[in-house]
Amino acid sequence: MYETLKFEESGDIARLTLVRDRINMAMVRELTAVCDHLEDESASKVLVIQGHEGRFCHGIDFAEFRPDQPMDIHGFNKWEKICARIEKLPKAIIALVDGACQGGGAQLMLVADAVIVSPKVAIQFNEVHLGFLPGMATFRLAKNVGLGHAKRLIMQCPVIDAEEAVSLGLCSTIADDLEAALSATVEAFGPIHNVAVTLARRLLNESFSTSFENAIGNFLAAQHRAIHQTPFLDTIRKHQD
Amino acid sequence: MTTVRPRILAVGTSNPPDYYSQQDILDLFRVANPMVRSMFQASHIDGRHLVLPEPGEDGIPREDQENLLRKHRKWSLKLAHEAISKALEQKGLKTSDIDYLCCITSTGMMLPGLTAMFIKHLGFRVNCHRTDVVGMGCNAGLNGLNPTANWCAANPGRNALMVCCEVNSALYVYDDTMATGVVNSLFGDGCAAVLLRAESADEELIPSIVDFYSHIIPDAWGAMRYDWATEHGKFSFYLDRDVPYVLGIHAETPIDGLLGRNGLKRRDIDHWIVHSGGKKVIDAIKYNIGITEHDVRHTVGILKQFGNLGSGSFLFSYQRLVQEGKIKAGDRAVMMTMGPGSTIETALLHW
Repeated sequence: MYETLKFEESGDIARLTLVRDRINMAMVRELTAVCDHLEDESASKVLVIQGHEGRFCHGIDFAEFRPDQPMDIHGFNKWEKICARIEKLPKAIIALVDGACQGGGAQLMLVADAVIVSPKVAIQFNEVHLGFLPGMATFRLAKNVGLGHAKRLIMQCPVIDAEEAVSLGLCSTIADDLEAALSATVEAFGPIHNVAVTLARRLLNESFSTSFENAIGNFLAAQHRAIHQTPFLDTIRKHQD
Repeated sequence: MTTVRPRILAVGTSNPPDYYSQQDILDLFRVANPMVRSMFQASHIDGRHLVLPEPGEDGIPREDQENLLRKHRKWSLKLAHEAISKALEQKGLKTSDIDYLCCITSTGMMLPGLTAMFIKHLGFRVNCHRTDVVGMGCNAGLNGLNPTANWCAANPGRNALMVCCEVNSALYVYDDTMATGVVNSLFGDGCAAVLLRAESADEELIPSIVDFYSHIIPDAWGAMRYDWATEHGKFSFYLDRDVPYVLGIHAETPIDGLLGRNGLKRRDIDHWIVHSGGKKVIDAIKYNIGITEHDVRHTVGILKQFGNLGSGSFLFSYQRLVQEGKIKAGDRAVMMTMGPGSTIETALLHW
């Protein structure tokens, strides 16, 4: 069905494999189709994003650019839109990262709610060394690791190994057996009530760019929505008499 | 050749000349209640256009119900004259070219209504068809747009005008309580006129009105209402503190209804034109239908500059969206207004 991706669903888990190593517009279009499905039809509670054949993703495919043609910024916008859309999906999003995770791959990793890496992982925001910018990692990364680390990671483009990724807070777990670690992480997420998960993620993502006064209004609006959903109503029913 | 559909051709808006910051109002009315003061000082409204009388003997502006009604009548005519002129001049039309006139107000009771007054004073023809929508509150702009668009669909090529005219300062009741403080800190005066005609739109970027979807919440019947305040001898607007949450929790129903029957998903909507009901109302809509701060930028911006303008608020936001110049052919917008009933009204636009 897809050329650049593989998408499977089993039980509560949807699994998205980046079969093509380099991100091109075909992959963006296919990611859009996957999001349509995940928003409209999927009953999965977890979305796993993973690489293929020992790597996560090497980033953007420069072969689609032509030096003799006008540069097109809109393709970058499409990439940002799909990242932002994945970031809003009503699922817990877990990235399984093995081997190289560079450029756009590292950007994609940042939208996950949890990141599990193998000991062989090599994460690099390498765009600035190549003369362009690491997309909205310029916005997301500082929130994840702090401004000082983000400047180093984005401007000096070091390769981050598994240990450093954990110490920076870029990932939560290093595991030889990624599948076992995935099961443990899914377990840790617990029942995954999609409204509570999605609203919690949204409020957290907004936390660095909103004043407290605005944030508390946002929180109350979100909390009101959460407490009217079945999971919370079930919780309070269990605590009657 | 595009289909002949009711389309929004032009919008004009107006406000009275005097602009009061929130601090100005606190000073003018000598508001002492610290809870009311802190509500005025929240940052989501900078100020509002209002028509306020000179302070009386005790230094505080006071008006009885008779004067409030007179003010509503006088300023409705002034504001409508300006807003209508601004809308019609964009298309080179005069009031005598209008075949159907729909007027909306909830801020003053009068008989005959606004349409009759505007025909008498503003040059509309005496055979102009007309409808007055009175007392339906902040959502009423879409309750009026629905029959206006339907009239256009039944009468292609003929001109219809809808005028939302709210002199909210004709509703002032001052008593230093939170109940009146909420209302007095929120509403501003303004008028919006919108010109509609059913036609094809081959070249210009003119939106067609595709559909409407209504939702009323009878359980929240009394959440927003006029009471008679005997001690003041005036109508007093009551706004329940749970209004934002009630509207929020029901917001998905009409949105899903409107989009579902048009084969659309929320992601297919490029622009959200939401009534500037108040900060908490906007938050509730944002988090319940999953739209972003960017989606409500004009809703928030209009609230900040003008306060809640009642039935015409959404047309002020629509005007800003159009002036922003980002709309593309094929774009879709949802209009959403909320008010007493409790009511959520929605409409779907397509460029």
